[in-house]
Amino acid sequence: MTQRKRLSHTQSSSQSRRQSGSLVAQEEDDDTTFTQPSTSQVQRGLEKLTPAQVDQKTAEVVQYFLVKDQKKIPVRRADLVKHVVKEYRNIYPEIIKRAARTFDQVFGLKLVEIDPKSHMYILINKLEAAEGVSPINSPTNPKMGLLFVILSVIFMKGGVVRENLIWNTLKKLRVDHGEKHEEFGDVKKVVTDEFVRQRYLEYARIPHTEPIEHEFRWGQRAELEVSKAKILEFMGQLHEQDPQTWSQQYREAHSVPNSSQPSTSSQR
Amino acid sequence: MKRARGGGDEEAPRQNGSAGRRKGEQQQSDGDDGAGAFGPADLQDDDNDPGLRREIRSKYRDLINSVQQNREDMLSPSNNKLTEVLEEANKLFKDVRQAREAALDAQLLVVATDLGKEKASQLFAEGTAFDPTAFAEHLLSFMGLNRLEDGEDDQQNGGAVDGYLPQDAWHRVARRAECCFRTSPSFHYMMGSFHAEPPPPKQRIERQRKAPSKEAKRMMPTQLKKMESSHQEATEKEVERILGYLKSYYQDDPTSPISYFEFVIDPSSFSRTVENIFHMSFLIRDGLARMYLDNDKLPCIAPVEEGEVEAGGSCSRKQCIVAISPKIWKELIEAFDIRDTMIHPPSTQNE
Repeated sequence: MTQRKRLSHTQSSSQSRRQSGSLVAQEEDDDTTFTQPSTSQVQRGLEKLTPAQVDQKTAEVVQYFLVKDQKKIPVRRADLVKHVVKEYRNIYPEIIKRAARTFDQVFGLKLVEIDPKSHMYILINKLEAAEGVSPINSPTNPKMGLLFVILSVIFMKGGVVRENLIWNTLKKLRVDHGEKHEEFGDVKKVVTDEFVRQRYLEYARIPHTEPIEHEFRWGQRAELEVSKAKILEFMGQLHEQDPQTWSQQYREAHSVPNSSQPSTSSQR
Repeated sequence: MKRARGGGDEEAPRQNGSAGRRKGEQQQSDGDDGAGAFGPADLQDDDNDPGLRREIRSKYRDLINSVQQNREDMLSPSNNKLTEVLEEANKLFKDVRQAREAALDAQLLVVATDLGKEKASQLFAEGTAFDPTAFAEHLLSFMGLNRLEDGEDDQQNGGAVDGYLPQDAWHRVARRAECCFRTSPSFHYMMGSFHAEPPPPKQRIERQRKAPSKEAKRMMPTQLKKMESSHQEATEKEVERILGYLKSYYQDDPTSPISYFEFVIDPSSFSRTVENIFHMSFLIRDGLARMYLDNDKLPCIAPVEEGEVEAGGSCSRKQCIVAISPKIWKELIEAFDIRDTMIHPPSTQNE
């Protein structure tokens, strides 16, 4: 297997992306040690194991995901195989299939492979959020508010923004990326490191810039989790305008029904 | 020569290198040259004049800086600042002679083109443009900004909207944003994680363990006593019984010696033979019987008279080990033609 270098910021997703250098050091690709077993191999592997054993391993995988999901950092296949699946790696596809089914039927969550090359998984909610503000009084995470602001600006600006635009907008909201914020701490780190690792944002270097500048895009997790239509709706409320006045963004938010974008209507 | 306005067309009329020089129309770029008439000699001077070169380079750098610093200003569709910069650059370019200046020109081109691209993208956006500043303002109101009425503090904030944000400002935004996200709820243990505190429970356990052990020890001696007595009794009884046999046989015929083998061997049971040998050894040890060799060098036994019992101290101690195997046992039975046991087995079998 050829060694695949992974640029953690610029993932080749279904949309074409500019190949730009990545700031974060390239993570080791342990995946080369694990090759996906074929269906016949899986069949043979299953014959040697009792159903109870396979169920037990599936449950362990489910639990691993649930705990890892607390930090919202994607789970790497290599880690999963090394720490949980171990000697059951020859029936790995079957285990993943069963785990996905468990998530779907028991928890109402969707197990998604956000990067088919480097095999990273995340969990998202299958169920649509309640209309308007949630009736459940669970504690809110202010970082989500910060993320929401950044994602909104990026979306409304056509999908790519230079980092300075974000920093300037945040400054107007009393969040200075050069200073410590009482709610968020090291703002720059939260935005360029934490949100990027969680795959909510992409932070890529723009070539030929001196001094070095970066641009922000939506990350793979944001594409799956965040509803553009709902952001537009909020914009409309804020500006007291009809969302359709932003015609280009409106079109983007309501286009392609079979895309990964969450729809506005609740679906099973 | 007309120069096209805007971002796109600058490539065509501008040529780098010597071909770009217009020999015919030498326009004064800044009017600093001072020289009136032009001729080939003057052109040469211009090429090599380091002062002029430096000046051109400095002007290029100024232009590049102005584009980078006033980026947002230049992006605004309300002015033509980008065009002005390009025209300025065009003028400068006429005097470019050396590679260093041309490199700066190229750098300016990159920066300007980038800006031009962004301006173009603004043109393509249909509908209402999105203004992040207005967005920020509206969001602050949403977050519950309490704007102070008097405007004295405006200067301190440097133009930022005055007032103070409530503590839960960002929580409000987060709450409103929740419905836009399809995040999976995080898994947490309901009662939290366990706290490992080993020391207190350990002490309790130790105290409890000490109490039972004392009782156990008390139990032990009584049990042992019972066991030992039972063993001793059994052996003693057997030994006495055998002594009785020995004495009775001896009294029947005191003159004829009793063969050791004939006495101990039970032809029907090897194990009882061994037991007889074992019990016999006690008798000899205790001085109640004696073993001697007869004329044929075969061992014989006889009970010791009561008077003959001496303290074991004066006698020299003799030891021997008796070994017997089933094979030897059978050979002895054959050799001595032993048909019946002389020591009858005890009537009550303990096993």
